Amino acid sequence: MPDESYKRFLDPTVVSKLASMELRARLIVEGFVTGLHRSPYKGFSVEFAEHRQYMPGDPLKHIDWKVYGKTDRFYVKEYEEETNLRGYVLLDASASMGYSSGGMSKLEYGRYLSAAVTYLMLKQQDSVGLLVFDDAVREFVPPRSSPRQLHVLLSLIDSVEASSTTDVGQVLHELARRMTRRGLVILISDLLDDPASILPGLKHFRHLRHEVVVFHVLDPKEAEFDFDIDATFRDMETGDLMTTEPFSISGDYRAAVKEWMAGLRRRCAESGIDYVPVMTTTPYDRALFSYLEKRKRLG
Amino acid sequence: MDLTFLNAAFLLGALAALLPLIIHLFSRRRVETVDFSSLRFLRELERRKIRRIRVRQILLLIIRSLLILAVALALARPTLRGPLAAGGGHARTSVVIVLDDSASMSRGSASGESERDIFGLAGETALEVAGLLDEGDQAFLVTASYPARSELQGGTFSRGTLADALREIEPGALATDYSGAVAEALDLLSGARNLNRELYVIGDMQKSGWRDAVDARPSGGAPNPDDSPAGEDPGGADARPGGADRPTAFLFPVDGPVGNFAVVSASARRRYGGAEGLYSFTAEILNGSGRQAEVPVRLFLDGVQVGRAGVSLSSGERGSARFSASVDEAEWHRGWVELPADVFAADNRRYFVIPPLRRTEVLIVSGEAEERSGEAYYAERALDPAGEGRRFRTALIDASDLAAQDPARFATVVLADAGRLGDDAVEWVERYVASGGGLFVILGDRTDLRQWNSGDIPGSGGIRLIEPFESRSGVRLAPSGQGHPLLEGLVFGERLIDDIGVTRGFAADAPGVEQVLEFPGLGPALLLAGTPGDGSGEVAVLLTGVDREWSDLPRTGFVVPLFHRVVGEVSGLGALPRDVLAGGDLVVPIAGDGAGRVEVRTPDGGRLIPEHLGGSRAAVVVRDAVAPGIYEFVRNGAVVALGAVNLDPSESDLSQATREEISGRLGEIEHAFVDPGDDIEERVLASRRGRELWRVFVYVALALLALEMFLARQRAG
Repeated sequence: MPDESYKRFLDPTVVSKLASMELRARLIVEGFVTGLHRSPYKGFSVEFAEHRQYMPGDPLKHIDWKVYGKTDRFYVKEYEEETNLRGYVLLDASASMGYSSGGMSKLEYGRYLSAAVTYLMLKQQDSVGLLVFDDAVREFVPPRSSPRQLHVLLSLIDSVEASSTTDVGQVLHELARRMTRRGLVILISDLLDDPASILPGLKHFRHLRHEVVVFHVLDPKEAEFDFDIDATFRDMETGDLMTTEPFSISGDYRAAVKEWMAGLRRRCAESGIDYVPVMTTTPYDRALFSYLEKRKRLG
Repeated sequence: MDLTFLNAAFLLGALAALLPLIIHLFSRRRVETVDFSSLRFLRELERRKIRRIRVRQILLLIIRSLLILAVALALARPTLRGPLAAGGGHARTSVVIVLDDSASMSRGSASGESERDIFGLAGETALEVAGLLDEGDQAFLVTASYPARSELQGGTFSRGTLADALREIEPGALATDYSGAVAEALDLLSGARNLNRELYVIGDMQKSGWRDAVDARPSGGAPNPDDSPAGEDPGGADARPGGADRPTAFLFPVDGPVGNFAVVSASARRRYGGAEGLYSFTAEILNGSGRQAEVPVRLFLDGVQVGRAGVSLSSGERGSARFSASVDEAEWHRGWVELPADVFAADNRRYFVIPPLRRTEVLIVSGEAEERSGEAYYAERALDPAGEGRRFRTALIDASDLAAQDPARFATVVLADAGRLGDDAVEWVERYVASGGGLFVILGDRTDLRQWNSGDIPGSGGIRLIEPFESRSGVRLAPSGQGHPLLEGLVFGERLIDDIGVTRGFAADAPGVEQVLEFPGLGPALLLAGTPGDGSGEVAVLLTGVDREWSDLPRTGFVVPLFHRVVGEVSGLGALPRDVLAGGDLVVPIAGDGAGRVEVRTPDGGRLIPEHLGGSRAAVVVRDAVAPGIYEFVRNGAVVALGAVNLDPSESDLSQATREEISGRLGEIEHAFVDPGDDIEERVLASRRGRELWRVFVYVALALLALEMFLARQRAG
């Protein structure tokens, strides 16, 4: 099963591309092993940071004797500690994520995206966890960096099915309470929930100094509403019905969606959250690489 | 105020206005249900837009229905008539004027104030109607005398042409046929150019003219292309071949009811048993005056009054006036029965002619021509005792030679116990009788019952021979019923003047056949069969033999007058030539011996060349003899024959059909009566002039179409 999941979600061409990529935390994260990312802890590592006056209790081996020779004072050398990243991939598996207008469903897309991110982070020795949720936390695998973690996560990703309603805000709050160390939170969702509950949840992470990336996955039909026949639409989460004439309202619909996405983008930006809208028609690897390249450019 | 539709059939198209609704309901049931991730944005839009869309959809539905309705109404060509339409456009109209030119229209008016006949009043009315025609109106003219005729082939768009045609019409002597004329008019209108169609019936509304219900003839589709209009067609954009629109009919009774006395028939018979050339005349008189009256009747022969009689008749009653008069039987005679002048002069006279009594050629056909006794021998002796051929000239042949004879030579053929006839002989006799020849059949020893009962012999159809009977004591021959005119002078009480015993005869069953003599208690003895009026000759059958083994007939003198009268009767000498009614064909037998061309002098002073009829019996015919009176057939300056043409007696009944009766005859045709005092212009134009609303509906349809396109294209945003 893990092998099958591996083959399914990690296509060799994608893996080969990922080999040259890295997801480096832009903020300082609290890892527990040496890694790619800046740690809040300054210790005695490779990268020199500053000199500090010796304080009783400091190990004598850290005293810079050269400085003592010049200044006759005891200084100790401090180094910036580099640590690994704790990444949390949050995958929305609510019923609305199961929507597909013909090609890949949003959940399917999210599964591929999750697999790629997971692989990428594990490849760079980071620890990665996965949380699958709908209106509550359905599955949670804590972050680990062991090689076996990839198989565990891929198996979980493989078994995810869309169901139930969404309550993104509630889930984000719950996860934020669980996360004790700063890390990277990657949310993959269609965000078809009340923005008033989503954004506070995301801000909760930021408040705890986590870096947050939101992959907003949408089907083109959800953005365009370009159905060519009159139809009765059934809400996949609530089962509510509504008959309408898409031809007549598609313009307004598009405007409303655009406004909604613009609002999300703006408020994410205000909170220092990376907002990445992706359509299911865009190949997930291209969407991911594009984001990583952009992130790299921006430093 | 009246809304009518010139093309009402298209109103059915209004049902199509339901189509958008049906499509809407149908498609609504078939709307697909689509799973969608979230209705969140749709709910937001519903508050703002979707309700508006529903309103727009309902609006579109209504507009599309109204659009179809407007198109259907435009095609149905609604026309608003009445005060509100005053000043509105003139609806192009096709009209047919049915003008009664029958004999009764030549009568004076009921009031007696006007010296003109009522046809003059009808003509004025027709011209007034013609004056109401406008540019683009099409007019037809049909005369209502039988048979109805269209006077303007293809109609005319010219008011002047119509007026000229109306002025040329004069009342004739023909009978009235409103039903036929209206049917002809409907036929013309079915191919008329304009869809607004009207029918004007102008006449005295004589009851006899409305005998039949109007039978709208099936439309022949497009008008005959050969029927080119007699006027200029100023557009003709309204052509619609084979239209089925019912026109509006206007009926103009030009005069009220009026009383009338009429001679409705005159007949004469040669009387037997009296002086030579003695005739009895019978005239039937109708009292249509509405009161009891003593009607004086006069008989004229060759212009001289020879009899006078009075007939007392109550209102509506018919009675007979009888006269007797002697004439020179060697000459033609013209005569008439006459009543005093009244409001309708044309039916106060009834004409007849008396042909001269000529020698009659008789062919006697025997089973055995050489026989010196028997039926053929006695028949020859009875008809031409001295062999001089004064009254009858006889020729005796064997039955086997019959087929070789020239049928035109003989006025009568006597089958005197001729026995079984060969097929060619039977065919000869059939042709002969069918062409008007008389046949006298004397049965006897050689009679073949099977051939007779097969019905092959002319006249045998209604007479079935049961079996021969034989009576040793003898059966006395007796007159049938009240005594047939043929036996005048030969009957004494209920017996014949001679006691004639019959020992053998044929019992026969002949229901409905005229009996002259009978075997008391056994059945008919002498029968006269024939179908008068169909042109075929009369057939007499004697059911006993003229032979001593059969009867006493050869021994008595009775056989001579009996045979003379029977042969005279079947050869057509006993009665006057058949009555010919105006408009019919007057046929007069004239030998075509090549002695010169025959010319006819008509009663109205005209001259014409009659048509010679072919066939075995030479005759000439005047086709469609419309003028009542005596027709003289002249050859080389000498009158060789006369013929009488009389008014159709139905014209003498001047009673008018009630409005209910006329309405019943017109059936579903919309109609209105216009009385003499009514303002014709007001009545007619109120109906004809109207505002055609089809343009309005077209504009409405276009406006609705534009609105529909605007709404349909507009998105909810």
